[in-house]
Amino acid sequence: MYLASFFRALLTYDFIQYALVAGIIVGFLAPIIGTIVVIRRLSFIADTLSHFSLAGVCIGVFLSKLINWKVFDPLFMGIVFSVAGTFLIERLRGFYKNYKELSMPIVMSAGIALSGLFISLSNNIDSKFTSSLLYGSIYSVSVGNLITIVIIAAVVITFLSLMYKKIVTLCFDEVYASVSGINVKLLQLAITVILALVISLFIDIVGVLLIASLMIIPVASAILLGDSFKNTLVCAVAFSEVSLLLGFIISFHANVTTGPVIILINIFILIVIMIFKRIRTNVKKEK
Amino acid sequence: MRVNVNNLTFAYTQKLVLNNVSFSLKSGDFLTIHGKNGTGKTTLIRCFLKLLRVENGMIFLDDVDINKIRKFSNVGYVPQKNDFNYEFPITVSEILSCAYPRKRDAFFTQIVNSMDLNTIYNENINNLSGGQIQRVFIARALLSKPKLLILDEPTVGVDIDNVNALHDILKKLKEQSITIILVSHDMDYCSDITDYYLNFNELGEYEFEKVGGEDVSS
Repeated sequence: MYLASFFRALLTYDFIQYALVAGIIVGFLAPIIGTIVVIRRLSFIADTLSHFSLAGVCIGVFLSKLINWKVFDPLFMGIVFSVAGTFLIERLRGFYKNYKELSMPIVMSAGIALSGLFISLSNNIDSKFTSSLLYGSIYSVSVGNLITIVIIAAVVITFLSLMYKKIVTLCFDEVYASVSGINVKLLQLAITVILALVISLFIDIVGVLLIASLMIIPVASAILLGDSFKNTLVCAVAFSEVSLLLGFIISFHANVTTGPVIILINIFILIVIMIFKRIRTNVKKEK
Repeated sequence: MRVNVNNLTFAYTQKLVLNNVSFSLKSGDFLTIHGKNGTGKTTLIRCFLKLLRVENGMIFLDDVDINKIRKFSNVGYVPQKNDFNYEFPITVSEILSCAYPRKRDAFFTQIVNSMDLNTIYNENINNLSGGQIQRVFIARALLSKPKLLILDEPTVGVDIDNVNALHDILKKLKEQSITIILVSHDMDYCSDITDYYLNFNELGEYEFEKVGGEDVSS
């Protein structure tokens, strides 16, 4: 019954269709990028960039209220800040020889501080808006947002398809990647920029606080099951899409924010897989 | 592949690791590099692979300065067993196909067969023994049709049967005129096919000697 009423609403309302398409795209991209993020141990960068991207969104909101220029569109500003954050992290890493990871809390703090400042400077910002920044509001995705999401998704998927072998080699064995002629620094930078682009897309959908979770939890589940890189990717995408669709349906009926529901479903899947894995290991030991 | 090293000197901040190292190898020569930990064996390998920047001295491969080589097309490298991300969920087939720019063809199949990888082709790398992992890495290196093969401590953590099997593989590769540089703790390993020894000591000194006892350090 819930399912039928959800699909009726889906066929009736445009905004639900936009949201679902955006969700399916993000649900596909998040775990693919997430797999690289987890394996390259970049999870904290994802969190840092999401917070710095938030600063871009908030500055965009402030400036677009002040000057009505398209260039200050909050989503676009989020993308710009997210990408700029990757370069900033790299620059800051150069200042510390033994404490390179300090660059990330510095950038994250700057992001949070700028966000707080520009939200307070912007007039008529209600608590619903700030809540949507933190936890997402996928139903607010506009046609313009959707077009941006589709374009960036196409760029990311093309890049990943073309560089698939090189990325897998880099993730598995960095020294070999370098010896075999892969420009390791350039590829790493490209991966981080792609990560920044994807993160900025996610703000509307799951919000800043949950972005890293959407990328990492499906992968955490998939790694427990996958015995190859391909299987791990397929499992991660499957878990991500299932959690997104269920999250849509449940949040629609319960009238709650979608982002947290999606993440909680992902955590539920992870717990089920952990239990399944433990049982399977015990059965094997008994044999 | 011919290898010429001229007056190679390398230091980490204050510590001199390679001091004026010079030697030459012809195509098909087998060099065993020997020495205790921290004496410069891996540093020399890293200089060869351009993982460290050589500022004093020169390395030539087939008379070409390695600083002028943008991409090694004929150099195969077999890393130490623990030098890769061993928690990575990846199969043997994925490792090999990622190292091969083309689709699986007759040459690819020939390498897989020659390293006896058919039975473990779809296995996750984490489920393999040390010897099997080394065979996978040698196969990966051979896919680039190397004229120079560099192996860094390939017998560490490998059982005796696989150590012997690896010896036989290296012997066959030498017969194909591939120049081989082997870093090994065990001086007796591959002694029957070694042409030259490069021995490092803790004082940063080295000896380059031809098998038979002749010291040819220059």
